[in-house]
Amino acid sequence: MVDYSFTEEQDLFRESLKEFCAREIAPRTELLERSKEMPEEIVKALANFELLGMTVDPEYGGLGGDAVTAGIAAEELAMANPNCAVPVFYLVMNSWSHVLNKYGTEDAKQEILTKSTKGEHFVGIASTESDMGSDLGSMKTKIRPEGDKYVVNGEKMYISGIGEAQKYGGGHVTLARMSEDLGTRGMNLFFLPLKDTPGITPTFIDELGREGISFGGFNIENVEIPKHYLIGEENKGFYIIHEGYELARGLIGLVCVGAATKALQNGIAYIKERKAFGRPIGKYEGIQFKLAEHHVRIQALRELSYKALWTYDQEAKGKASRFDVSMSIAMAKSVASQWAFDAINDVMQWQGAFGYTMECEDQKALRGVRSFTLAEGTVEIMKLIIARELLGKEFLAYR
Amino acid sequence: MRIIVCVKQVPDTTEVRIDPETNTLIREGVESILNPYDQFAVEEAVRIRDGVGEGRITVLSMGPDQARSALIKCLALGADDAVLLSDRAFAGADTWATSYTLAKAIKKLGDFNIIFCGQQAIDGDTAQVGPEVAQHLGISQVTYVEKAEVEGRKINIQKQTEEGYQILEAKMPVLLAGMPPTSFEPGYPPMSGILKAKKKPFEIWNAGDLGGDASRYGLDGSFTQVIKTYSPPPRGKGVIIEGDAPTAAKKLVEALVKDHVVSGGD
Amino acid sequence: MGIDVVLDKCTGCGLCVKACPFAAVVVKDKKAEIDARCTLCGACADACKFEAIIIQRPEQTTEDLSGYKGVWTFVELHGEGIRKVSLELLGKSSDIADELGEKVGAVLLGRDTARHCDGLAAHGADVIYLAEHENLEDYYTQTYSAILCGLISNHRPSIVLFPATHLGRDLAPRVAATLGLGLTADCTGLSITEGMLLQSRPAFGGNIMADIICPGARPQMATVRPNVMKAREPDTGRKAEIVTVPVDIDLKGLDVVIKDVVSTVTKGVKSLEEVDLIVSGGRGMGNSENFAILEELADILGGGVGASRAAVDAGWRPRSDQVGQTGKTVSPRLYIACGISGKIQHQVGMKSSDTIVAINKDPEAPIFEIADYGIVGDLFEIVPALNEEFKRTLHKGK
Repeated sequence: MVDYSFTEEQDLFRESLKEFCAREIAPRTELLERSKEMPEEIVKALANFELLGMTVDPEYGGLGGDAVTAGIAAEELAMANPNCAVPVFYLVMNSWSHVLNKYGTEDAKQEILTKSTKGEHFVGIASTESDMGSDLGSMKTKIRPEGDKYVVNGEKMYISGIGEAQKYGGGHVTLARMSEDLGTRGMNLFFLPLKDTPGITPTFIDELGREGISFGGFNIENVEIPKHYLIGEENKGFYIIHEGYELARGLIGLVCVGAATKALQNGIAYIKERKAFGRPIGKYEGIQFKLAEHHVRIQALRELSYKALWTYDQEAKGKASRFDVSMSIAMAKSVASQWAFDAINDVMQWQGAFGYTMECEDQKALRGVRSFTLAEGTVEIMKLIIARELLGKEFLAYR
Repeated sequence: MRIIVCVKQVPDTTEVRIDPETNTLIREGVESILNPYDQFAVEEAVRIRDGVGEGRITVLSMGPDQARSALIKCLALGADDAVLLSDRAFAGADTWATSYTLAKAIKKLGDFNIIFCGQQAIDGDTAQVGPEVAQHLGISQVTYVEKAEVEGRKINIQKQTEEGYQILEAKMPVLLAGMPPTSFEPGYPPMSGILKAKKKPFEIWNAGDLGGDASRYGLDGSFTQVIKTYSPPPRGKGVIIEGDAPTAAKKLVEALVKDHVVSGGD
Repeated sequence: MGIDVVLDKCTGCGLCVKACPFAAVVVKDKKAEIDARCTLCGACADACKFEAIIIQRPEQTTEDLSGYKGVWTFVELHGEGIRKVSLELLGKSSDIADELGEKVGAVLLGRDTARHCDGLAAHGADVIYLAEHENLEDYYTQTYSAILCGLISNHRPSIVLFPATHLGRDLAPRVAATLGLGLTADCTGLSITEGMLLQSRPAFGGNIMADIICPGARPQMATVRPNVMKAREPDTGRKAEIVTVPVDIDLKGLDVVIKDVVSTVTKGVKSLEEVDLIVSGGRGMGNSENFAILEELADILGGGVGASRAAVDAGWRPRSDQVGQTGKTVSPRLYIACGISGKIQHQVGMKSSDTIVAINKDPEAPIFEIADYGIVGDLFEIVPALNEEFKRTLHKGK
């Protein structure tokens, strides 16, 4: 059997995190919700508490920690900020700094990571396009070498953090193809700076939720980037982008746990007090059954998510296989959003008409977790990954 | 500069509740925490050390093995090394035996300029151990310390009083019992502090390591004994007074006069 | 010596686990096991229905203690007068002394303090130990402790009580450690059992009560909470014997020196520990000016004004007015909480008040859980209405 306990350091870290969230995050909810981008106070607070480079090497200002520890922070941040804007900022920055840290050039790391860990640069992910999300092979954005640079043309859409990159500097880890043929060979991962970059025209879109982090797209017209912004080898981008997605997905699992846990706590407090027909509604079996079911699911999701991140860490130590990682990460992400959504939805239902108003806090969490059926990989793709691992590559769905 | 800070791990008594049915303590889910007054003492010690520019802070605690996590937190907050006094022989100690034990350990730790402790622990609430340790060590004490600043060979101290505060000047060595001002927000160590803490020296001493007279430790060495603990009688359920302001006011005054809480006039 | 589980009798029922305030008991393989967190408080032994937990306390065979006689109170001065709590302790000392057949002593240190002797006699003192010297004008641990230790060694009282004030809690433990005595802090109850002082006090932030004895050492010492004991009605006919204590104190050798004394309490206004009626304001007051209506109410009732941490943090009231875990613990006859939500940290500072009245516009405010009387509404309407009503009722015929 396995020892499921966290380390002493992780337990102490969680204690500190709760204090940090109570002082620096929870009180800034209002400020966050009326901001177009992550407010500077929050970015600085996250940076000062070493949360913006959890797995980045200390020489670039990171903590040099592991994915499980990063997961702990994801869970606690979501409990303090159920609308999920801060947890999303956190998980995007950490997942894609991780990739830059592992595969980027020394020059790029010195330029970008030393700033991003201090909260002075944003690091996001841009692979989705208007006409392409899951089917990375049919990507249209192109990159070609030209002298001592690369030139990129195309567009990206439904990207988080464009406003943050413009405001604070930094940019996005971007995927584009070099070859004319479609398919996943010939994909390149590189860093695309957004601020004051000629040829980049951003647009902004209002998301359904997650107020406080920006969202939108940008056109890319003959944008030049220096060669040292390439991440990994030329045409090998498709293979390394998965490490970023997987970390992000594992963290998303815990964000859903945090948001749902907070909602259930709100729900429990409510059903103990609210009376109908002479007794608190928490006494009715129907309510209790729902509560128990959601609790089990969220706890199961918690186990799945931490196990997935633990497996991710084990692979880095050579103790888990690719199969183990992609399977466990996909399992967690395949259910995270739905299970959290269902729990929050029922908490709103318990609150009756009030639950249907914007005054109800839980509706923010509902709209926030709804994004995770698609962010960093759709649930449909997760299920295909699981099935592929069980059935074998010959059964790949769209081939 | 050597500062020794005495700390205690305590149950979080603000989270403790009384079961209304059985009138007993509900202790489940109550965490063990670093006594908040002691955390203030640690953070002040760190501030003093940083102000002076050099120095060594040792944290000391008498407690069971679990008290380790409180000491690690102190190390994560900036203390340099830790000693845990852990032994069944220390159990059941009243403040006399506790202070004797701590003083013995301090003597073994060597020279110091300042002993810092919290004014009181939130479980015992006695505020006695500090002054008793000072007496055992034969050094002077200042209690209810809100602020302390080292200036050369003296310490400038702000001491809380019932009416306000006093400014004192003390020679070292001295024992300070820290009373956090309302502006104090306890620090929470970042992960890097926690990781560093794990690498700092941590020793566990038992009664044998301290030597001394074994009959002075724990229950044997205590002068006072707790013979009974019980829940305080519950306050009866209160009454909500209805009505608009003038009506409610009238009813309340009538009730208070009737109960002889206030006198009904001449 | 210590604590043992009688395995034959233990059924593993777990009542002891629930009773232990320190989480020191678990049930393993159907038997109770007690670990190093145990403080030998005895809660488990009391809870056990099968007498399966035995606590052996050491035999305190010591010298004959019958030679110690006298119930003493340390008298603390405040400004020109005696701190009210010392008079309360004299009252309690008188009760105890009557029961034991001993005399009541009052220990009075300071400068020009002889003028207080009549008052002390009137309040119950039989003997006054008077240490008068200009160098005793300010309290210093070093000087006061030396005199007190000398007095106790020479006169051998059986009990010495100190007020649980800043001074008392600084002095008493120093004396106890110097002489090797047991000391119980912050007592709310004192009585005699088998000739010994039974000391009752709250612990765990007031969530449990503990009964304590000191079987072996004399005198038995305790610090006692203000506003709990009752002072006797002054009997100006009473006379007390005065024992003048020779004082040879030199301030030059002091390691600690007072440089400045700052008072944040409004001049002439008593500090919260001195009053037995408190009107307190919290976040709901809104600003510092609004406290005027509370000051008016306190004036009408002859009490003081307190504040919650929120009001002090906001800068509306001075720190010396703060009631709560990080402020003062008070137990007045009447505590009126206005616009205070009553979080546990505030409750800890006032829940042993005799009568609690809460006024708050939030019916869910935790303060209502401990209030004897509650009014849900706007305090800015209710308090002025109360002021009118109290004026009318209390000053009838004036």
